[in-house]
Amino acid sequence: MKKTNPSFLNGIPELLVLRLLARREMYGYQIVEEIRTQTREALSFGEGCIYPYLHYLEAEKQVSSRRREVEGRNRNYYKLTARGRKRLEVLTSEWNRVTTGVSQLMEEQYV
Amino acid sequence: MSDFIEPLRRRLVELGCPLAQVRRLVREVADHREDLKQAAVSEGLSGADAEARANASLGDPLALAEELMTALRRSSWWGRHYVVTFCLLPLLVYPVLWTLLLLLQMAFGFALGCGWNWEKLHVVANNPVTFHHLTTAIQFMDYAAIALVALFFCWLARRSAVSLKWMVTACAICSVVAVITWAKCEPHSFSMGFSMNSHLHMPWFRGAIPLLIAGAIYVFQRRTTQCFREKVAG
Repeated sequence: MKKTNPSFLNGIPELLVLRLLARREMYGYQIVEEIRTQTREALSFGEGCIYPYLHYLEAEKQVSSRRREVEGRNRNYYKLTARGRKRLEVLTSEWNRVTTGVSQLMEEQYV
Repeated sequence: MSDFIEPLRRRLVELGCPLAQVRRLVREVADHREDLKQAAVSEGLSGADAEARANASLGDPLALAEELMTALRRSSWWGRHYVVTFCLLPLLVYPVLWTLLLLLQMAFGFALGCGWNWEKLHVVANNPVTFHHLTTAIQFMDYAAIALVALFFCWLARRSAVSLKWMVTACAICSVVAVITWAKCEPHSFSMGFSMNSHLHMPWFRGAIPLLIAGAIYVFQRRTTQCFREKVAG
């Protein structure tokens, strides 16, 4: 993530990457672009910083990669593994729990 | 290309990144850079401007190399806890691993030389000439066990992508433990143990083995890095 993002966003890159890869196989640039466009530029990775995350997730066996040629370009494509899917479920439920709690608190403040 | 990719490659090599990882990381970042360039060209920028924008988007190649290395280290338990792994673990693992390796070699030698026959072993022990050969063989097995333990920590350091100083530290600790451990073979008896006053002949040589291995790997790594740099520059 960009260095300007506050520390409470730690762990979100993992959630976002796993969520995107749960839909389809993607390569690094595609993931960065998808995060940027789908969050309407609220969140964005530093361009090169996606690879440390991807390699970390691969070492943790949450994603797997393969070299694939598409439209004359060779790229490393990443996809979610069974372990990654389980991790995504855990992170998603954690995220829902946190956002529900924060929403409730924010709503009460203005009542 | 060389403005961004070569400094990245060079820095990764300097930081001790395994060469296979360097190739993969550089290839992926180069792919990403090409995608950024193509996106900029499709927006109507010229080739040079597109390249400049791609480089600016990727940031400082040296900082990126540091981040990639940090991620590589964080991807293993050994890399995340390198002080425990390379300072504390050798003290605990060395005696166990050394004992196992030495006993394993001796069992293999016994099976090969005597066919698991204790009578034959007693005959060997009773003959001064064959007993001398036996003690020499056990001494070499002892040295081999020490070397294998040191090599295990060197492999672990390489796998965790930690700097060479941690590999040398682990080997130095193995060296100290090697000096105070001993294995002694006498006719019809074999003993192992710890002692500050080792009664072995040349106990310092046992301590020198892990240091020699660390030194050899250090030199090899430096030379490989140098060759890689020259190849990149050439």
